[in-house]
Amino acid sequence: MQDPLSSALRIGASGLEAQSKRMRVVTENLANAQSTGKTPGADPYTRKVVTFENELDEASGTSLVKVGSVERHSSPFRIEHNPSHPAADKDGNVKLPNVDIMTEVADMREANRSYEANLQAIKQARDMIAMTIDMLRSG
Amino acid sequence: MTTAIHLFDLVSRHNRWLSVRQSTIASNIANANTPGYKAVDVEPFEKVLETTSLSMQATQPGHIADPTGRTADVNVRDSEPWEVSHSGNSVSLEQELMNAGEVNRSYRLNTSVAKAFHRMLLASAKV
Repeated sequence: MQDPLSSALRIGASGLEAQSKRMRVVTENLANAQSTGKTPGADPYTRKVVTFENELDEASGTSLVKVGSVERHSSPFRIEHNPSHPAADKDGNVKLPNVDIMTEVADMREANRSYEANLQAIKQARDMIAMTIDMLRSG
Repeated sequence: MTTAIHLFDLVSRHNRWLSVRQSTIASNIANANTPGYKAVDVEPFEKVLETTSLSMQATQPGHIADPTGRTADVNVRDSEPWEVSHSGNSVSLEQELMNAGEVNRSYRLNTSVAKAFHRMLLASAKV
């Protein structure tokens, strides 16, 4: 079995990576909150969501985390009446992305919190390694 | 002398247990947003100490192994969760961070005690 402290560092790193991917997807959603189509009746940008998966690391027998897949959210698009818009259909309605800014901000907060917790776990594991090395210095 | 050596053994075993615990805490935290993930924790150290104190040595091929199948490994069990979210995830970040703090404190205590005893042994060797 591998040294548990270094596997703790690896697990923490996998958590950091997963959470930063989530952050990337959230910012994509926020940036495209107003991205409509170009042709009449075209679909606008669709909100994306990440899914997390638990992955067993064979070498150490511990469970890492990874982003499983980035899926498209299936909620309905917002409809706005704007006849002069290039993407307006024959009734003058434009489909806007199904991105809700508040939900995205809440998701961002959660990603932030989880990232911080992972960092804390890494820091503590590093501290423990440092304490072990410090034992050598006492003599 | 023998007590001091027993102490070093105890310190290193407790520290190994603490490292395993730290790595389970790290995987709980990493999976804090994974749907359906169940938080895990290690067995208490007292239990580990009880079950690993005696093990049968096989010095000849004909010797039988320990029939109870005890191993020196630390077993992992489900932890008692503070909360279970709607997605079936039972990790509570607060709980994990508290456990991590506890692990860190015990580890520091262990290394400090070992350091002090080591210094004592060295002091006697210097005279």
